[in-house]
Amino acid sequence: MQSKLIYVIFAIVVLIAGVLIAISLAPPVANSGGIPHPDIPGMQAGGDGAARLEYIGNLAFAFQCLLLGLIVCLCSLGVSERRRSRELMIYMGSSLGFMLIVWWQMYSSHQAFLESGTTAYFMGFPIATAWQVYGTWLGAIPLILIYSIGFRKYIYTSEDEEKFDRLLAERKVAEQDQPRKQASGPQ
Amino acid sequence: MEAYRQEIILGAVAIYMLFCVLTGLWAMKRTKNSSDFFIAGRGLGPFVIALALFSSTLSGFGFVGGPGLVYSVGVSSFWMVVISSTGYAIGFFLVAKRIRMIAELRNCISLPDIVAARYKSEAVRFLMAVTIVLGVMGYLATQILAMAVVMQAILSGTVMFADIGLVACVVISSAVLIFYCVTGGIIASVYTDVVQGSIMMIAGTLILFTAMSVFDGGMAEATSIILADDSEAIMPFGAAGIMASLGWFFVFGLGLAGQPHIITKMMMNKNISDNRIILPMSLFGYIMAALLWISIGVVIRAAVIDGVIDPLALPDDAASVFLSVFASPLLAGIVFAGLFAAIMSTSDAFLNIGTAAIIHDIPKAIRGHSIRNELFWARVVTVLLAIVAASFALYSYYTDATLVAILGAFGWATFSASIFPVVAIGLNWKGATAMGAMTAIVAALLINFIVQLAGIVLPYGISGGLLSFVTSLLLFIGVSLLTKPPQLDADIESVLDI
Repeated sequence: MQSKLIYVIFAIVVLIAGVLIAISLAPPVANSGGIPHPDIPGMQAGGDGAARLEYIGNLAFAFQCLLLGLIVCLCSLGVSERRRSRELMIYMGSSLGFMLIVWWQMYSSHQAFLESGTTAYFMGFPIATAWQVYGTWLGAIPLILIYSIGFRKYIYTSEDEEKFDRLLAERKVAEQDQPRKQASGPQ
Repeated sequence: MEAYRQEIILGAVAIYMLFCVLTGLWAMKRTKNSSDFFIAGRGLGPFVIALALFSSTLSGFGFVGGPGLVYSVGVSSFWMVVISSTGYAIGFFLVAKRIRMIAELRNCISLPDIVAARYKSEAVRFLMAVTIVLGVMGYLATQILAMAVVMQAILSGTVMFADIGLVACVVISSAVLIFYCVTGGIIASVYTDVVQGSIMMIAGTLILFTAMSVFDGGMAEATSIILADDSEAIMPFGAAGIMASLGWFFVFGLGLAGQPHIITKMMMNKNISDNRIILPMSLFGYIMAALLWISIGVVIRAAVIDGVIDPLALPDDAASVFLSVFASPLLAGIVFAGLFAAIMSTSDAFLNIGTAAIIHDIPKAIRGHSIRNELFWARVVTVLLAIVAASFALYSYYTDATLVAILGAFGWATFSASIFPVVAIGLNWKGATAMGAMTAIVAALLINFIVQLAGIVLPYGISGGLLSFVTSLLLFIGVSLLTKPPQLDADIESVLDI
């Protein structure tokens, strides 16, 4: 609990704030947040995708990389410091790597579509969107496996369980003692 | 069967509502004190918790607003759904174990109880309780409104109730909700959640197959129609753009661990070690149910572009139009029951935490102790809270017809920004201070409300929710680092070490 991980998390959040400020200061683009569909009321259109990313594409990419880093750091924070072994950090690092690969594939597939105007399909969606739908969903599965499979090793070991049971027992004794002390009054 | 479409739908919804009422009566016998009423005596098994967790996560916002958002902004809104695996992972890593430990150790029955124990601060308890009440009002009103709108759509299709008004629908739907929440408290809530979650999973799966059969070429044809019309709408960042999309990823992903109606359920399981199976079960349930969000939204957008159906009067009509045009009466009946399930499972959770904040936490923060006869007052306040939220819903509907989805997102963002740092980080970092917590909560509330009420539009689709979330994270950690580290109680310190 005393590690420097919180400083890493803080640094990532500061960087994210910096990226948001930089994006806010970028030259405005008319359709950056969508435009009304020309024919169908109530529907929004995206318009020129390349124009929307012209000034902020790299910043947005960095934003998501930082966010994925933040997610893995936060999950690591949730593991008691005593259990943050080298092995766990390798697993966490690999999870981050997997999520970054998915993000890179999604982003670069979208860029490729913007340049070529053509796309293949995978399970019902254009490739870039398929990376988003299936890839992002699957991206955090390693974290879930670390939690579920590694539960007794990293999250809540038998030793932790015994310690918590002792805490509960101590609390119970303290609660039983309290009325007795109150009944005997000040000496 | 087609000739009896409305009757079949009405029958399915009526059976579902009858089930809720009976569950309320059954649970009333098991509700003997306020601990039973608010946290089910911490005695629930993993299957019940898993279904209750995911069904509370996917609300009317998911079933009504979700497909509506895909219709209006395309793939952008997928980001709120695909984040679920990350969101659940963060929630379990950061919250599930320690919130359950502190709940048992200190006999906590609410989230403000937990933060009061963690920070040794009644001021933090008070701010957390106020945040919950404010968020609950907006969110609950949204849910009640969604429920009434859907009920009106169903009933107005019958001869007998052709002219039924929205007010009558608010009264009927709220009455069922209030009945089982008042009688059975959280026990009724979680056991209805089990059935509600099951219905939602079945509905989501069946809808996916129905949606895939609308176009001969399946989902690929639907997405190619959208691509030909406006490629950005079906590309990963949708019509709303990259920063709106990634902002939703941030707010919905991290924010899941800041939703009080969800994390409160992490206090209710019987064994801490059950968390290892609750996590994958919850995620699986959510994904199955969320298929409805994606598939209906994509197919309706494609169908309108292709001229198969007329443009929708409102984006939120997407689900009901899909069901009336493309689904068989039986499926429509199941999905409408699932829709009510989604709305009610979230609403009852909100009623529960809102009531706890009002009768347990705010009095405790102000007077040092909670009110007498908590169970009685819990039931009274549950009724009053529902009535006030229903009135707020009607007022909002008739004076400002804002999208249900946007209201839902606003509620989620408020909770995410104000609760996530204080609870999710605070339970895992001894250096977090009460001053840091208070600063983060106040800043998050102020930014969210100012941006929303003043109608401030940030560049590149950056949302007020994202701004407030990042700010509250910065302030929480920054102020905590600058203020004196707290002297924690020995038992809390031990929990933070485990």
